[in-house]
Parts: sequence; C-alpha cells; structure tokens
Amino acid sequence: MVKFTAEELRRIMDLKHNIRNMSVIAHVDHGKSTLTDSLVAAAGIIAQEVAGDVRMTDTRADEAERGITIKSTGISLYYEMTDESLKNFKGERSGNEYLINLIDSPGHVDFSSEVTAALRITDGALVVVDCVEGVCVQTETVLRQALGERIRPVLTVNKMDRCFLELQVEGEEAYQTFQRVIENANVIMATYEDPLLGDVQVYPEKGTVAFSAGLHGWAFTLTNFAKMYASKFGVDENKMMERLWGENYFDPATKKWTTKNTGSPTCKRGFVQFCYEPIKQIINTCMNDQKDKLWPMLQKLGVTMKSDEKELLGKALMKRVMQTWLPASTALLEMMIFHLPSPSKAQKYRVENLYEGPLDDIYANAIRNCDPEGPLMLYVSKMIPASDKGRFFAFGRVFSGKVSTGLKVRIMGPNYVPGQKKDLYVKSVQRTVIWMGKKQESVEDVPCGNTVALVGLDQFITKNATLTNEKEVDAHPIRAMKFSVSPVVRVAVQCKVASDLPKLVEGLKRLAKSDPMVVCTIEESGEHIVAGAGELHLEICLKDLQEDFMGGAEIVVSDPVVSFRETVLEKSCRTVMSKSPNKHNRLYMEARPLEEGLPEAIDDGRIGPRDDPKVRSKILSEEFGWDKDLAKKIWCFGPETTGPNMVVDMCKGVQYLNEIKDSVVAGFQWASKEGALCEENMRGICFEVCDVVLHADAIHRGGGQVIPTARRVIYASQLTAKPRLLEPVYLVEIQAPEQALGGIYGVLNQKRGHVFEELQRPGTPLYNIKAYLPVIESFGFSSTLRAATSGQAFPQCVFDHWDMMSSDPLEAGSQAAQLVMDIRKRKGLKEQMTPLSEFEDKL
Amino acid sequence: MEFQSNYEILRTAEFIRSRGVSRVALQFPDELLKDSTQVAKALRRELGNGVRLYVMADTAYGSCCVDEVGASHVDAECVVHYGHACMSPTSTLPALFVFGKAFINVNACAESLHQCLSISNKPVLVLYGLEYAHAVQDLKSTMCKLLLSSESNQKLYYSEVACSSINPSGYNIKDKEQPESHGDAIADGKVLKTLESGVTNKLESGTKYTLGGLTWITPLEHKMEDYLLFWIGSDNPAFANMVLTFNGCEIVRYDAEDCKLLNDFSHQKRILKRRYFLVEKAKDANIIGILVGTLGVAGYLHIIQQMKELIERDGKKSYTIVMGRPNPAKLANFPECDVFVYVSCAQTALLDSKEFLAPVITPFEAVLAFTRGRQWTGEYIMDFQNLMTSDTGEIVDDNEGARFSFLKGCYVEDLQPHENNGDQLERSLALAEMTEKALNVRNQSTDTVLFKGTARSGAEYLAARSYQGLSMQYENAPLQSYVVGRTGRASGYENEKE
Repeated sequence: MVKFTAEELRRIMDLKHNIRNMSVIAHVDHGKSTLTDSLVAAAGIIAQEVAGDVRMTDTRADEAERGITIKSTGISLYYEMTDESLKNFKGERSGNEYLINLIDSPGHVDFSSEVTAALRITDGALVVVDCVEGVCVQTETVLRQALGERIRPVLTVNKMDRCFLELQVEGEEAYQTFQRVIENANVIMATYEDPLLGDVQVYPEKGTVAFSAGLHGWAFTLTNFAKMYASKFGVDENKMMERLWGENYFDPATKKWTTKNTGSPTCKRGFVQFCYEPIKQIINTCMNDQKDKLWPMLQKLGVTMKSDEKELLGKALMKRVMQTWLPASTALLEMMIFHLPSPSKAQKYRVENLYEGPLDDIYANAIRNCDPEGPLMLYVSKMIPASDKGRFFAFGRVFSGKVSTGLKVRIMGPNYVPGQKKDLYVKSVQRTVIWMGKKQESVEDVPCGNTVALVGLDQFITKNATLTNEKEVDAHPIRAMKFSVSPVVRVAVQCKVASDLPKLVEGLKRLAKSDPMVVCTIEESGEHIVAGAGELHLEICLKDLQEDFMGGAEIVVSDPVVSFRETVLEKSCRTVMSKSPNKHNRLYMEARPLEEGLPEAIDDGRIGPRDDPKVRSKILSEEFGWDKDLAKKIWCFGPETTGPNMVVDMCKGVQYLNEIKDSVVAGFQWASKEGALCEENMRGICFEVCDVVLHADAIHRGGGQVIPTARRVIYASQLTAKPRLLEPVYLVEIQAPEQALGGIYGVLNQKRGHVFEELQRPGTPLYNIKAYLPVIESFGFSSTLRAATSGQAFPQCVFDHWDMMSSDPLEAGSQAAQLVMDIRKRKGLKEQMTPLSEFEDKL
Repeated sequence: MEFQSNYEILRTAEFIRSRGVSRVALQFPDELLKDSTQVAKALRRELGNGVRLYVMADTAYGSCCVDEVGASHVDAECVVHYGHACMSPTSTLPALFVFGKAFINVNACAESLHQCLSISNKPVLVLYGLEYAHAVQDLKSTMCKLLLSSESNQKLYYSEVACSSINPSGYNIKDKEQPESHGDAIADGKVLKTLESGVTNKLESGTKYTLGGLTWITPLEHKMEDYLLFWIGSDNPAFANMVLTFNGCEIVRYDAEDCKLLNDFSHQKRILKRRYFLVEKAKDANIIGILVGTLGVAGYLHIIQQMKELIERDGKKSYTIVMGRPNPAKLANFPECDVFVYVSCAQTALLDSKEFLAPVITPFEAVLAFTRGRQWTGEYIMDFQNLMTSDTGEIVDDNEGARFSFLKGCYVEDLQPHENNGDQLERSLALAEMTEKALNVRNQSTDTVLFKGTARSGAEYLAARSYQGLSMQYENAPLQSYVVGRTGRASGYENEKE
C-alpha cells in the first residue's frame, strides 16, 4: 500500500498524460472485485494516518454479505514505472509516476445503471472474463455500452487458477479455451468499427490481453514472458511476443519454430511450451510441496522468497510464489498504462460523444484538448450519499478547466435548453473532494482529466448535470447517459405509522437521487411506488430507503406490481360514434393495431413527433407499408406526446376539423394514458378519425364538448377492436452444467417461460440457456431456480419486450379478465369494466 | 300533525315573528320540493298576510348551503333552509334551519351503542346527522337506563347541535380576532381553545370542537384520537366530512335505516389517499383555475383572495372562474388549467374528479400543494374558514433547489416567483404582451405546451394551439359560394335519417 498525502496526489493530477481513468466491467461472478482487491493491495493510495486499518473495497455490509458488488466504487492507484519497462512506450508522458483512477462496477444486470455511470467518467475498461464460463450476457451488454461511449477495452482472462487446480486442463486444450474467449469478445468488439477509436479488438500478442488469477493475486501478459525469453533466445521482444501466441510451434528437440504442428511429440505451441507449462510446473511443484525442486526453479526465474515464506506449504506456498513471480498488479497496471488512453488522448475522440453543442466552439475544443486553462466542463454522473445524513456528494469527471473550492458554477440539469432558464442554477462549490479509498480529502482544486466529488451542490443536482463556469452562458451541456435497463418491477410502499409520511416522502426523494435507475412515483390511488430494474435491485433500494434514508422508520411493502399495456388485436369491427354532452357534435373513429415493429420504432425514437414529415413518411411507407399521404396525416403520438400510439386523420372534407384537432389530441393523450380495460397505458394502437360532425357555432364545439367525447370514442373504438393485454417479458440467460438442465426446464415450464436457445459452451461442461419469462412470474424465480438445481444455476433477467396475452379480457372468467379485475381492484376502480354502451352512442 | 312537527312550522313561525321580517325565502332541496307548497300554506296560516313567503329551489351551488344570492333576488330578509344543511355561516342574511326528522329506532340504536361501548376501551363520542338530532334526548335517556343496568364504567359523550339558526357574521378580517363575539355564529370545524382564564367563558377547561353544526367539548388532556366516534346517520357528505377531518380516529357508523353497525371505511381511507395524490399532482401545475363554488358562505371572497396570493407566491398563474356546479364538460373548456381549486362549503368541496380533465382540489389541499416545504401530516381541514385563521406562510422556504415531483418521479425545477410576477400586474394589455412573449420563446414543441402542462399562462397556451379562433385577416380570403346547412335535430339530422 502506497502511503500518500492529498498534496502528493494532487500533484500527479496535473500530469494529464500520466492519468488513466478506467472501469472494471464483467459478468457477475467473474471476479472483478477480487481482481481489483489484488490491485489495490499493491498500489492503492491511502492517506498516511489511516494506513493499515481500512480495507478499501469493503464499503457496504450487504455487498460483503451477498458477495456481489452493488454500487460502483472508485479507487485511485499510484504506480511508478521503471525506465526499463517504459522504454517501449511510445505515447506522451511526463515522468514515471502514474495515477490510475479505477472504478469497480457491479456485474449483476440489475445494477447496470451503475456501470453506465462509471463508463461515462472513464476512458478505458478492463473487461474481466472467466476463462471457463467465457463471454456471458452481461459481459456482452457492458462491452457494448463501453464501446458505445468510445471506451477502449483491454481484456483479462481471469480465474486461471481453475485451469490448473480444479479442471487440470492440458496446455493445448487450455489454449483453445482462451483463444475462444478472446475470439468471442473480439466478435462483439469488431462490430464497433470506429475510425477515430481505431481497432478496438484485443490481441494477446500485442499485450492487450492479460491472463489472471484474481483470487491468488497473480497475472501475466505475454510481455512478461517475452521479456524473459527474448534475452535467452536472443530475439527481439516483439518477435518473441508474436511467437508466444497463435500458430507458432516450438520443438525443443530440434530447437526450431514452425507454424504448424510437426507431429513430433515434443513439438508444442509456443504459448503452451513457454507460458502455460512453466506455470503449471511451478504450481504443481508447490502443491506437492516438492521444495527441493522448487527453489532451483525459482532461482532460475529470478524469484527470491523471504525466509518465513519458505516455510509455507501447499496452496499458501503456491499463492505466495506466484504472487512474487507474476504479481497481478504489475501485469495489469502495465497493460493499462501501455494500452489504455490518457484523458488527453481519449477526449480527442470522445468529445463528439460527449458534447451536445457545436463541435467547434471553445467548449468542444477545451474538452478535445483536455485543457486545464480552458472553461470548466464537468459532468456529474452520480450522487453518492454522504456520511452526514441527507447530503450527497456530486461525483463526476472534469473534462476541461479546473474546479475549485468556492468556485461559482453554472449547473445545467438534464432538461436544460441553451438560451433558456429552465433547469439552470448558479451556485458555489463548497468543497472539492478527492476520494482516498474510503476517506475523502479536501483539495483546493481538481484539474481536467480527473474524477472529483463536490460538496454543496446536491440540492440543485437531481441525478446528473453538466457544470461550467458562471460566466459561460453559451456552453451546451454534456449529453445525458443512456441506460440499457428500464425500471419494470414496482412495489407500493407506505409507512406503518401514518405520521411517518413526511419521513417516507423525504426518504423517497433521497433514494431517487442516490440511484441512477430507481424511479419513485405516486399512483392515481395515492400509493407511493418504487420501481427498479429487477427484484434484487428493488430489494437493495428498499433496504437503503428504510435504513439509510428514513432513519429506520418502518415501511410496509406491497407485493411486486407489474405494469401492463393495453393494445388491440384487429381493426374495430365497425366505425364507432360518440356524441358530445350537448349532442351537437359527433366523432367517428376506428382503432387498429400498429404494424409490427412500429411501436418499437417509436420507442427508440426513430419515429416521433419531432421528425421531419418527409423522413417520417419515408420510413413509414418503406418499412411499414403505409400510404405516403396517410403518413403525413398523423395528428399526434401518445401518451405523453411521444408514446407508441397515434391518431391519424382519415376524414375527407370536414369543415372546422382544424378547430377541434387540439381537443381531440388532448382527449387522446388522456385516454391513451389510461386505457379502457384497466387504465394501463395503451401500446401499439392507431386511432383513425373517420368522420366528424360539428355544430356550426364555434361555442358549441369547444374543448368542453370535444375533449370528453374524443376520450369516449377512443375507448369505444378500443373496445370494438378486440382489446388485449400486453405483459412485459424478460430475456433470461442461465448458465449451468448439464445435470442442472432438467431442473431449469422444470422451473421455466412452471413459470410460463420458454427456452429458445440452448448451447453448450465449447470446451466446457456448461450450457447456456436463453429463455423468455413473463416478468410477473419472475418474482422468486432466482431462488426457485437455485433450489431446483442445488445452486448451480444463476439467472440474469433483462426486460426484453411486451408480449400479447392471448386470452380475451372481455370474455368473463378468462385469465385476462381476472387480471383486469385485479388491476382495477388494486387501483380502486370499479371492478367491472365500463361497458361499451357507456362510450358509444347511437344515432 | 306529523307534517307540522317534521317541518317545525310553529318554531319557524315563531322565528319569523320574533325577527319581525316581512319577506322570507323558503329554500328547499330538490327532494323536498314536493312539500314546498304545503309548507308555505301552513306557514301562511300561522303568520297571516303580513309576511310574504317565497319558495326557492334548484340552487346554483350545493343545496346544503343557504342561497343568499337567490334570496336577495326577492329582497328576502331571512331564509328558512329545509333539509340537509352544511351549516356554513352566511354572509348577509339570517337563516333558520329545519333539518327534518328522520325516523330512528332509538332502542336498536342504543343497543348498538351499548355494544360498542362494551367492546371498545376508548371513550365513545356520539355524533349524528342533523336529521337525527330530534332523537338524541331519547337516546340519552335510554342509554342511561342501559348503562345503569349493566354497571359499565365506560365514558360516553354526546355532541350537541350548536344551534339551528345563523345570524350573518358579517365576516370580514376585522372580526377575525373575536369570532366568539356574535352569539351563535358557527365556525365550522374550528378548534377553539377556551381556557379558564377567559372572562366570557366560564366553562370547565376543555377543547371545543364544532363540525357540521355539531359541537362538543373534550377535556384538555384528551386528543380526538383517544375517542371512538359513533356516527348515527347515512353515508352522506356530512359523514365523509367527519371521516376525513378525523381520519386518525376509530369510527363506527350506525345506519338508522338498516339498523346496522358498520365499521369498514376503507373507501373513505382510499379517498384520503386519492386526495393526497391530487395534492402531489397539483404541485406540478403551472396554471391554476380558482372555481368559485359559493356566493354565500361567509368569507368566500377572502379565501379567493388568499388563494390568489398563495398561487402567485408560488410563481404560478391563477384564473378565477365563476360557474355553477362544475362538471367535466364545463371544466374542459379551460384545458389550459392544470388543476382547479374549488372554493365552496365543506360538504360539497370534495369532487371526485376522475372524469375531469384536470383534478379539482380544495383550498386546504391548495395550501399544501402551493406552500413549498409544507408536508401533509395527516390532518385534513375541509372548511376554508379554518384555513383563513390557520397559520399559513410560516413555513420557511428552506429548499430553494429543485423540487421532487412524485408524478414524474424526478426532480423538477419550479418557476422562480419573482421573475415571473414582478412586472405583470393585471393590465388590459397583459394578454397581448404575454402572447407576444410566448410567441418569442416558442422553441418548445407545441405538443409539450398543450398536453404536458408546460405552459405558464393562458396566453402561452393559446399561442401553442393549432387553432386560435377566427382570424382577423379577411383581405385576401377567396370568396366561397354558400352551402346548404343541415336541418333537423342534433340526435339525427334530416339527411341522416335513413
């Protein structure tokens, strides 16, 4: 552990070429945190006075208890390179001291929003992959996210120890496994071709892949071995690197390199011959306690052990020996320093992703050049609860300029529009703080390229924001983050004691701030709702709410609630008509389902209210077979003016139609938010206005007459078009050994899930199963699955799509009708649906 | 004879004679209108021709309030109000209330009450609908006997009918310090601390409550939550008023018609939660319509003024609208309003606005919603008289940052009051100026202005509408030939008949 003061750390922060901001990303249980631990142990920075009595990564009790990471934690590492090892470094640098700001992120899919927040403020990513399990669903998700943010990845094939100890794999087989893991990762990375970022694929022979055993604290890249052998063989280090990977074989008998296996029993692949076998030999010798053989071997390798370490036996000895020989920190940190970009390098190409404004203004240039003298541009990516209850640190990254204590900053919130005053504050930074492990140290200022925590702005920053200098009124904000998961699981919370309500309200506000993904809302019925990405996420949020944000006041949590959507199956069986309250106006309408894929296109924003009508009609006619003219007659989208339903004008020659458009749209916004079945949002319905009869006198066709009528006729057309419910469905990915498959299928069947892909991972006894599972059935799914497979299967669920329930909600006694009734009951509505006759009028 | 006693003809005549008035308005609710002529006849028999009687019906607002405007149309000097009454104080005319006498089986009721006493370990407070006031004496004596025989030591309290006539309080701000000075004026729902030190009040020390014409005194050390409330009457607005006001209390209702004891009020509790939601929704509103739902209840002008100030302080825009009973069609004519505040008497104040485009809230809810930093603690005040005297605006605005909106599930920024209102007093050109301004800053999408409530004023809303009324530009309009319009009735014009 490096002992360091805040002043010394602050000094390195100015060396923008010697900083690396990086996150550690991986699938759950692939060993991120363990690996991070081994790095921290060697190079973590800790303030002098507390050295020795804290463990840095152990931040939350529940994290330790569950063995998973929940919140991303930042840690700064200090590393001094030797001149020798830097001689091959081509990039810019100032001195040999390096500051590595590392963020350990959670791997469970429920917490991917934490990963998103971490990626935004880093430039590089260490992708950790379990050498046996390979690239998993979450590896893929986070990798795609990283590349989307233009984060350069390096890979480490982790849990090498399993190869040697648990599985006892032979060299060639192990090589094939590693090769496949790397290939799989490269397949994903190859899809992100980006001229500015360059080739992002990873190659062991270029040193961008490491092999590690986080648990035992050792790791190597081919560079380590190449250096060792280069002198021995008298060849160039780079040449040696290439020989240590791929189709290069060496036969010690002939002492010749070939590109093909000669078939001779002594001919082995370079990697196996020179990397795998020696490690295996050392490990086996240690494990068998053959110390007499061990010491000479170690001496040859130049490894010296302390005398007390020589007394160790078995595993402990092996661990110690490997750590001394191939320390994880050296291999990984050197890989990061060599192959991940410094802020100054990364911001050159990241500016396009980051900055919303014109890319040639002073702010864009300052970000591009990582200019400490330029205007301040700082992005706050998350709010971290401070030890002092109710307050938050604003945690983020300085992209240009400097942020200092007492500086007046302009806070641009997510809804800020340049030139307007909305969501904009000017406030002073009370304190700038840097994280020294668990402890925070105040510093005078923090220059660009670094992460920083700010005190005193928490009232004005909701979740994230862009900060700039007070005077910089022309600055545009930094683009908001896009999350890959959505909050689909909801529970209602209320306090046990009615008078605790203010506490609950306050707690919910704080909870909403502390987590990028959680959403706290209120239902029409007056219930407070907390929505999260998954069961686990929600569980953690509620725990935080009660214990940290409400001071332990008791809360009552309802069973999980899933929101549904209402849609239609067919076109309305007839044109329906409703009359206004004064009977003088009539609206005629029909409903029909939107074409397949169109609601998703609207969700993704490919089609929306703000499109150029020409572009929109092109997409609609080419992809969805719409009539070109019709595409121009879309009145609006809804609910919330952007939702996946629309109103289309099909009328011909109706007088005054323009007058009532706003009223019809208002009625539609209202109706599409609360469908006729059970007041859930509508989805995928197109309402066609077929005809309109209006009173000749404007006073009798005002909003009061038309808005309620539009709502009624929309309901009537929905009910005549075979209404159906849509339920949310998870994509579930499960990895398990063959013997657990039976149990998995059993549980999935019982939970209405269906498997659509089952693949054996090549070279492993593991199977990869992908299935769809209704969200409503997913509660308790993890635990049931674990019980049915004796803990061998661990599912990852991500919201995937809306699925239509085939049963007819209008048919009494059907499953959907029952569901509708339950939802209505929960919402405090009349249990019986309002009949069609209430909405439709007859001439 | 029953008719005589039910409509208290003699007492009414006595009241009119004692006041020496010559023009009297008799106000009937719709359901009693059928008896109006008989009542008028009977009264005339008693009073002779010196007094002119007018029958009033179909009140513009709630029939529980005294329709002072209607009465002043005939220059009436006093009003006799029949049927269910909310007992809201009047502002100009004296009024006599005739509650009618609903049938009640006193023995069965006493039985239920006794049963209640034996189960509950709290003291019981008996409250009742005013139409059962006539039976309370009987009930008391019956209960006395019952309790004597069972030797129960449970405490039982009764509320009293405060009075059956109201003198106009001439309510204005000057009188506020001494609300007790005029004999039998009622401050509905008001909690008056009467201490022994008072010269005028030599009662034993206690807290005096009045609610909907009933009054009772509890010992100072007791809170309302310590009582079990026993309500005699039907599930009407008066009951709802009571349930919401004392939402922390245990309540049972004795239904006199079915002779049944009911204690499931989840429905009312649900209403309370729903109101809570409406308050949260109102917090997000930018434009507020103040609906004037009474022209009689004392102090209504004052509360309207207070609402206006409140809304302005919060940086929002208010419009005052006078209409009779609100209905969805009427209110949807003002789609620019995000929420309406309904100023009316306590018992008509709660509108279930599910069918309304914008929610309708009470003045108390408005105070909760538009006072920053104020939180709902569970108390609920139905009547606005109490609001006027209660402490408002004392909550320190400690949080100048973003406000959390539970509707959107995120923090939102409110308009800064001073920016918005400093220079914009109501002026004749205000609309034009605002329209101009609105047009200038029209880089928001019109959709969000129209349907997501981001407009800050009616003018801005108008500017965003796709149709803004008839245009003034006639010059270049091409001439169009006339067309033959429709003939017939709206239920089916003639060309549609077949």
